[in-house]
Amino acid sequence: MPFRKLPDAPPSVHLIGPTVFLVALGVGMGESYMWPRLVLLFGPEIRWLFLIGVTLQAFVMLEMARYAMATGESIFSGAARVFKPLMWFFFVVAIAVYIWPGHLSAGAAAFEEITGIPWMVTAIAGLILVGVVFTLAKVIYNLLENVLSLLIGALVLGTAVVAAMVGSWSDVVTTITGMFSFGYLPPEAMTATWFPVIVGACAFAGPSGMQQMWYTLHLRDSGAGMGAHQPKVRGLAHAGEEEERPNRGFMFDTENADEMAKWKGWRRWVTFDAILLFWGVTMLVTVSFTVIAQSAVRLDPGVRTAIQGDDREVALSAMSNAVSSAGSTVLGTVFLGFIALIGLNATLGLFDSFSRGQADMTYNFVPGAKKFGMSRLYGIFLWGVILFGILILLFGPADGPSGILDTLAFLSTFAMGAYCVTLLLVNNRMLPKPIRPKWWTNIIIGFGAVFYLGMLFYSLFAYGVVVG
Amino acid sequence: MVGRHSLELALPGASIGAAAGAIAGGLTLLAGQSTGMAGLAALALAMPLALFGGLYSMLLGHGVFRPGTFGPVGLYWMAAFPVSRLTQEILSPTGALLEGVGPFLAYQAMIALGFAIGFLWVHERFMPHWLMRRAGDNPLAQELLDKYLRFARIVRSRRSSRKGGR
Repeated sequence: MPFRKLPDAPPSVHLIGPTVFLVALGVGMGESYMWPRLVLLFGPEIRWLFLIGVTLQAFVMLEMARYAMATGESIFSGAARVFKPLMWFFFVVAIAVYIWPGHLSAGAAAFEEITGIPWMVTAIAGLILVGVVFTLAKVIYNLLENVLSLLIGALVLGTAVVAAMVGSWSDVVTTITGMFSFGYLPPEAMTATWFPVIVGACAFAGPSGMQQMWYTLHLRDSGAGMGAHQPKVRGLAHAGEEEERPNRGFMFDTENADEMAKWKGWRRWVTFDAILLFWGVTMLVTVSFTVIAQSAVRLDPGVRTAIQGDDREVALSAMSNAVSSAGSTVLGTVFLGFIALIGLNATLGLFDSFSRGQADMTYNFVPGAKKFGMSRLYGIFLWGVILFGILILLFGPADGPSGILDTLAFLSTFAMGAYCVTLLLVNNRMLPKPIRPKWWTNIIIGFGAVFYLGMLFYSLFAYGVVVG
Repeated sequence: MVGRHSLELALPGASIGAAAGAIAGGLTLLAGQSTGMAGLAALALAMPLALFGGLYSMLLGHGVFRPGTFGPVGLYWMAAFPVSRLTQEILSPTGALLEGVGPFLAYQAMIALGFAIGFLWVHERFMPHWLMRRAGDNPLAQELLDKYLRFARIVRSRRSSRKGGR
């Protein structure tokens, strides 16, 4: 890679960065629904697995950032440098898993409960709106960072205030102390019915599937580290204004003490983001939702039966009803409002991330694709997934045909184990020695690979079920 | 006119505090209560949160806090948020004090850390825009805006090397 100067790192106090995307993608059904449900079924002690899941994801985030900030390339390009089929694997998985508009329909269903507007109308209108807004945006990253920051700010402030009003000291104490009951697994958890659900919940603790890999693209577009030398992806309407894109990333002089000092500054910056924003916000939202769910069951024990079932909508309504009885009917509406907000965040984040990731791989590795330009490729993938989404909403099952759901769930979790292996290979083989990860970081990421793949295959072989 | 200038700085923090208190706090108590009681409940939370939010913005303008630094803001809200909730419980009781004032305050202080993240997150979005509007005739706003601009310049700098930057 050609050498360039590393830009100065921002002070670590700089608060808002690309983590906002990871939070928007990561704080989803896992935090608001799956983990509160497991707590109600198995007790707060089950949360030690959540603690491991989210902490692991914070380390993954830091390691994803290492390659992206050092080179200005995405992790997909890094994977291709190690072994090109590895990158194509992620290209195919992204299409297989993320074209289904399931997350959007979940948010829209919650919105229907509040307003009475049919979920399909909201979902299709939402899809078109996202497409139009991203097409007209001058620089998509800036627009999305602003919108998501406000939405997540509202979510964090709102859940904090609601939890402050409905929860109690004992709820939060059991929720938090439960996180340190390492090794707790009740007999009912080790059954074909519930173990796959626990595997799914572990994978959905924080960003799941390929979301961590997309984070490297957001880092690049936010100008972090050597990403500063890469042009931004523009909306389709402004594609003509895109600056010339270099064929490859860059590297800074790791023998130069000044450059290494700047590198350390960038690492501090991203560590601050990972610990406070990513880990802190994810933890806060899930603790708040768990506290809300616990107080809901205390007031209406019937909710426990409802959530034992597999129907997410019924369970969410039951939780909302119970929350209503804890405070007022409007409190239940607020709860559903948060679910709708989470659905909207995830939709915005996922559509952008999917298009960004696929465009990046196509631009760099499909012969002849460069002549289209990155922004046009982004637009093609964006409108492709939107049109497919509308067709599926109108004529097919939003989550995907039931026959392939298992495969998609398997692929999503498998991708997480695979990206841990990819990270180890890319960071340890492609980066210059002075900026490679430390041995103990490698052990943690290696543990991540064993954690995801191990649980997945155990579930598959012991119970014949992949992910619940 | 230092008073007016300081008060002007308070607007972003006060608005965020008021909105958080009014929207979530007010809505959660709306149903099942008379309009008057619901209004009182919303006001009882929105007012102290707005006051503390505004105070934070003012102190930021006077250099007590540094832009975007989480630690001090977390500590600030660990004190301010429980006081706000206690005020609300006294003016418009919901039964949350049944466990005792100690556990109530401890619980609120814990939740306050989460509130602080959200508050700071939104505040960092609004404050620079407000400062840009007021910098022309408010020297305090100008001074604080300069601080933000210094940070922004570092973030956006591509080639420039900051003097003394290590």
